[in-house]
Amino acid sequence: MNKFALLVFSMAALVVTAGCSKEETTSRDADLAGVNVAVGEKKSPFSKLFVLNEGGFQKNNSTLDFFRFSDGNYVSDAFGSMNPAVVQGLGDTGNDIAIHDGKIWLVMNGSGFVHALDASDETIIVSIPVPDPRYIAFDDSHAYVSSYAGAIYGGDAKKGKVYRISLSNYRIDGEVEVGCQPEGIAVVGNEIFVANSGGYNWVHENTVSVIDRATLKVTSSVEVASNLHFLAADSNGTVWVSSYGESAWTQDDDGNWIQNMSEPMGLFSFSNKNGYGVTPVNNVHVSCMTICDDGYLYAIGNAAEMTGGYDNTLYKVPVAGGAGAVTAVSLPGTDASRVGNPYGICVNPRNGDIYIADADYTAPGKVWCFTKDLKLKWSAVAGIIPAHMALY
Amino acid sequence: MRRLFLSLMTLVLCLGASAQETPDTLSAARVSSVRGSVVAPQVITSKELRSVSALPEAVRRFAGVQLRDYGGVGGLRTVNVRSLGSEHTGVFVDGIQVDNAQNMQVDLGRFGLEGLGAVSLFSGQKSSPLQSAKEYSSASSLYLESSEPVFRPGKRDNWIIGSSVGSFGTFSPRAVWEHAFKGGTSLRLTGEGVSSTGRYRFHVKDYRQYPDGSIAGYDTTMTRQNCDLAGVRAEARLSSPRSSGSFWNIHAYFYGSGRGLPGPVYKKAGEYPLSLDRQTDRDAFIQGRYVREICKGWSMALRTKLSFSHLEYTDFPELAPEDSPARYNYRNHSAYLSAAASRTAGKFRLNVAQDLQYDYLDADLRGFVFPGRLSSWSCVSAAFLTGPLDVSANLLYLIERDSFLSGDDRSSSSRDALMPSLVFSWKPSGRLSVNGFAKRSFRMPTFNDLYYTTVGSKTLDPEDAFQLDLGAEWRAVESISHHLALKVDVYRNLLRNKIIAVPTSNQFRWSMYNLGKVSVLGGDLTADYSFRFDDGEAGLVARYTLQRSRDRSDPEALTWNGQIPYIPLHSGSVNLFGSFSGWRADMTFFATGERFTTSANLPAYRLAPWTTLDAALSKDISLKTGSLSLKLRLNNLLNEQYAIVDNYPMPGFNFLFGITFAF
Repeated sequence: MNKFALLVFSMAALVVTAGCSKEETTSRDADLAGVNVAVGEKKSPFSKLFVLNEGGFQKNNSTLDFFRFSDGNYVSDAFGSMNPAVVQGLGDTGNDIAIHDGKIWLVMNGSGFVHALDASDETIIVSIPVPDPRYIAFDDSHAYVSSYAGAIYGGDAKKGKVYRISLSNYRIDGEVEVGCQPEGIAVVGNEIFVANSGGYNWVHENTVSVIDRATLKVTSSVEVASNLHFLAADSNGTVWVSSYGESAWTQDDDGNWIQNMSEPMGLFSFSNKNGYGVTPVNNVHVSCMTICDDGYLYAIGNAAEMTGGYDNTLYKVPVAGGAGAVTAVSLPGTDASRVGNPYGICVNPRNGDIYIADADYTAPGKVWCFTKDLKLKWSAVAGIIPAHMALY
Repeated sequence: MRRLFLSLMTLVLCLGASAQETPDTLSAARVSSVRGSVVAPQVITSKELRSVSALPEAVRRFAGVQLRDYGGVGGLRTVNVRSLGSEHTGVFVDGIQVDNAQNMQVDLGRFGLEGLGAVSLFSGQKSSPLQSAKEYSSASSLYLESSEPVFRPGKRDNWIIGSSVGSFGTFSPRAVWEHAFKGGTSLRLTGEGVSSTGRYRFHVKDYRQYPDGSIAGYDTTMTRQNCDLAGVRAEARLSSPRSSGSFWNIHAYFYGSGRGLPGPVYKKAGEYPLSLDRQTDRDAFIQGRYVREICKGWSMALRTKLSFSHLEYTDFPELAPEDSPARYNYRNHSAYLSAAASRTAGKFRLNVAQDLQYDYLDADLRGFVFPGRLSSWSCVSAAFLTGPLDVSANLLYLIERDSFLSGDDRSSSSRDALMPSLVFSWKPSGRLSVNGFAKRSFRMPTFNDLYYTTVGSKTLDPEDAFQLDLGAEWRAVESISHHLALKVDVYRNLLRNKIIAVPTSNQFRWSMYNLGKVSVLGGDLTADYSFRFDDGEAGLVARYTLQRSRDRSDPEALTWNGQIPYIPLHSGSVNLFGSFSGWRADMTFFATGERFTTSANLPAYRLAPWTTLDAALSKDISLKTGSLSLKLRLNNLLNEQYAIVDNYPMPGFNFLFGITFAF
């Protein structure tokens, strides 16, 4: 059950929406018909929206789906179809997806692999063993993967690591110890930032470790807030990091456990330009988030979490290039009221379409596409616990 | 409280001793689960038990039953009757329930076959005189009945020593000593050990077909690791002499084991093991039963039990096993007392029973609330027995009071349930009987459901199971040499308030809710044919089960009306046997149709159908000094690669050879 909780805590991707446009060539995955869910978008600069389904804990049923913009079809388990001979498929608990240099990178937490696939047809290029991998980030020559490095819930406190993978030979060629149970990771200039959660500890961590890219050594740590998770950088190099907040479990008169948030889920930003001075973004509750090239950070969270209610809210936070104040739209009352458990978010920078991964936990989940005004565009049945998305 | 029960136990013993009458070891009627019941159960007799090497192999033969088996020698095996879930099946040893307040899972792998007289399954309601109140509480009941020692004239001691060896490096020695005391009291001591590496090879395969007709995939062989088992079982059973007026018995049981938990099979980077987790168990109970006639027409039964179980689970860090592991200890304590009285007057029979039980769970989890539970079952049962028509109406009232740590104090909560049942049996002719029942039963939330730190929900209601059943049995042929019986049952079950785990308003926190609803329409068909010849017997038993078990939890969800996880629409078995001058041969064929791992019955979540063929051959040889018995059991002859639980592969072909010497 503890590992189960870990799964629940392992959340949506830092979707690096590489704004690369894709020429219309027939790729080998064009034969995968899928299910038609939408009218095709012929002029889309993207050819596919990839959806990584985490799968159940230790169920080995993580799958990679995609939505094809040209014909509006949703293809389930594209990896399995394109790589039928790969023993045990993708593996267990896909925790992050990123697209870098024409490749899809999939971080398989349960299996201890990072897979690189050809983004044009999902065929596998390499599977790299990495212990307990969580999230991935890149520079030109390397991939950096955060890792729990063998910690177990209930065991001794154990520091996590960041592993460095060479993009020329796909081997791990460096590692550095960071805080406990590191999660989100991003590369900004000569520095790598990784959010430490301390999720297995009695007292959570509250820092972002700063690693020097050249020496692969931790140079400083930025105190932000308790139990950090998602971390992404905008185009100005500002780091945005979310916190799951801090809660205490107490029992009410009936003896039911209730969660009292002593610190709410929050969003924070800092930059090395101001000496890592941390700025909180007030009243943004982050269950999942993404930074889009349109100059905004999008997040979904339960605005009523402090009172035990249920009010999923979409937040739009201006980052580099974005203008205006933070906006918050409550999903109930919009077409998105049908979203049960928003578990991942991705935004199309061209038209502002919002993709939400909706996890069901006992049954296959859904992927919803809404316009920027939260009008339903399409929805599709995904795999088990769809969570992480990327545009290609 | 423990002291109180101990003194009551002593009282029971004293009463038993004073009630001893003339030694009459064999002639007294055997108190079996079948005797006096309005409806006959499905039974696996001691003869049929000889063809199996473990209890679960016998239990899976029952119609309407799905055995949940995680595979291998140490894998958990539980029984699910008529799609209601294993928590709704009570397992009774000599009429006293085997409990586990923590999760209500009873591992059938922990009971031996030595000394077992018969195994019977009551779907619905057993209704015999002098039943305890708890025997009315489960939706279905599995009875394990001990046999009574039999001594040849002039003998006071029986010895049985034996040993089995087989696949997975399994070695299992055992010894039984039976002794008849002067006065007719008998004692049976049983000791059994098992040691096994548990390792076996299995296939991981997946083939997919493409629109153009081509097929591609993989098929690879792996070895199950970390599945060793070492265990001991020791039992002592003391039985009074049989007399028409009274009898008693006392049964002490200990089971201790250590095992590796191989976990599910999933993709894992090569250098790391899938699992290093281990589990250690110590289960012990002592139980007693005392039955006597009070005066004409009235008889009574007292039952009592004390039990203790300790489970230690160790979670090793896979990357660095030398680091200190996480350890969790769970200690279940339980004490039980039951009194039942029965009066028969002509065609009328009245049964009243009152049971009390206290359970307590101790665990070293963070924020654990140390729950205790006091339960009271009160039962009134009236039966009208005319011979052609027997009817029994039963009413059970359960009061449950839980107490648990809340802050620095203990809080309490309570759950009550009224469980009525009606059973009838009508015999229009000597060969045909029609029977049926209607029963509403409630499964109380387990300690895990209620009190697992931050996940359990203390406001849970019990699961509500309603069953309707109509069946008929036709003994089509009954001659000296031939016997053919056909049995059919049709049933409708409705399970409401099913306890399931779902994320709450804060999706990082899961909790238990009464949200599930299952509707079952099922049918069981059994054909039993045998014929006798000079020195032997042969026959076959065929069983078929159809279960349409729909998920009716959420009309908006993909799961709506889907077949619930792990329940096949079709399943069945055929057992062929023949015995001749000390030889006995058995062939058993099992088939299970396709199943799904979620109620969303999409192809991606389909589990392939499977079939297995098992065989057993045994030979009894009479020697001057005793009798020698040889037994060879061949499981999964066709080496089928299958899984009952997804990602828990079952072993392919395996065997067990046993030799037993009785003197």
